[in-house]
Amino acid sequence: MNQLFIEAGTLLFVGMVFVYAFLGLLIFIINFVLAPLAKKFPDPVVQTKVKKFVSKSTLSNGVSPAIVAAITGAVTQYRQQHTNLSINKTHLKAKQ
Amino acid sequence: MELLNTLWQSTGLANFVFGQVIMMSVGGLLLYLAIAKDFEPLLLLPMGFGAILTNIPLAGFTEAGGLLHYIYETGIHTGVFPLIIFMGVGAMTDFGSLIANPKVLLLGAAAQLGIFATLFGAIALNAVPGIEFTLKDASAIAIIGGADGPTAIFLASKLAPDLLGAIAVAAYSYMALVPIIQPPIMRALTTEDERKIEMAQLRHVTKVEKIIFPLAVLLATIFFLPAATPLVGMFCLGNLMRESGVVDRLSSTSQNELINITTIFLGLGVGSKLSAEAFLNIQTLGILALGAIAFSIGTAGGVLMAKLMNKFSKIPINPLIGAAGVSAVPMAARVANKVGLEANPHNFLLMHAMGPNVAGVLGSAVAAGVLLSLVG
Repeated sequence: MNQLFIEAGTLLFVGMVFVYAFLGLLIFIINFVLAPLAKKFPDPVVQTKVKKFVSKSTLSNGVSPAIVAAITGAVTQYRQQHTNLSINKTHLKAKQ
Repeated sequence: MELLNTLWQSTGLANFVFGQVIMMSVGGLLLYLAIAKDFEPLLLLPMGFGAILTNIPLAGFTEAGGLLHYIYETGIHTGVFPLIIFMGVGAMTDFGSLIANPKVLLLGAAAQLGIFATLFGAIALNAVPGIEFTLKDASAIAIIGGADGPTAIFLASKLAPDLLGAIAVAAYSYMALVPIIQPPIMRALTTEDERKIEMAQLRHVTKVEKIIFPLAVLLATIFFLPAATPLVGMFCLGNLMRESGVVDRLSSTSQNELINITTIFLGLGVGSKLSAEAFLNIQTLGILALGAIAFSIGTAGGVLMAKLMNKFSKIPINPLIGAAGVSAVPMAARVANKVGLEANPHNFLLMHAMGPNVAGVLGSAVAAGVLLSLVG
């Protein structure tokens, strides 16, 4: 019985020391291996987001109002034609 | 008349032994807890049903040739089922909050105190007549304090297969009781001001870090604790499948279909160990009592460590997240969040508590490895 208690005590000590040491090693790995890696290889997703944002802002700033108006006009025209077409189609279907 | 007698002898009613009736009621109780109380239903339901099947007279479910016998021998005796479940848990785990705040790994380590301190309790129980725990039995019981079902079943199947039923029932029951067991301990060990502490927002963790982390953990385990590689290895495999992003199908299978299928069989297999002769003894009561103590000590260990870290850290740490150092993912983290909200309605600790929570999973796997290599 006493022998078992001593063994349990040793296990408590050795076990806790080992668990702390092992997880401590992981802290070391995260701080000194992973964190520098993260700086070296940042997420590509974040980069593309930034690019998109930048390109949008340059567009709205750098494009002349005339071109914007032309594109708007073309889009509206296309939409009108498209809806007309679809209306015609539905009419045709209804007639059939 | 002879025929009638033979027919009567082949009915269950004629062959019931009192212990079997009790164990069927235990199975019924587990079903009730699962269905009516929502206590870990995924495992307690098949486990409770398994307990009923096991105790049917004449059916021979657990004898050689019986279904539950094969399920137990193939999946639990070999340790395969808990390992497959661990892979699924790995595929569900996001180490982001842990990598963002690596100090919380110390909380995951502190909460393992529950495991090692309970060893003493188990040995001390040998003073009670009728209980005789060897160091192997004591280790298998103590792992309940890790609050990690698969780890407990894995270790028990290796160190004390006879006690597996009671250990699994205790482990899963207490995991379901985390919201009841933990808060009083957390409140008793912290002051109102400590519970109100708000924590700084976590930094962004990149994909590269998340991919390298499981590999680094595996490498450290290979170097320093090969006995834990079955558990840690499967866990890291699951996690790598998740984070690599190239095998979404495998990742999704291991965290859904595979883990579900395995859970059914694991529950039934554990249920097969709930036979009258294995469960109805004073040792089971001892195991249930020790499990509760292990949980409480683990919670206290985590909270006290977090208090200590808060004293010495420049960045404030809310001691409540220490309680999440016992695994029980994500229940323990939710409890930390809830108790934190009670003290300060603007304090959301969930993400901060997930760090120690997943650290606890690693910690209990490491503790299991230590016990396996020193006692097994």
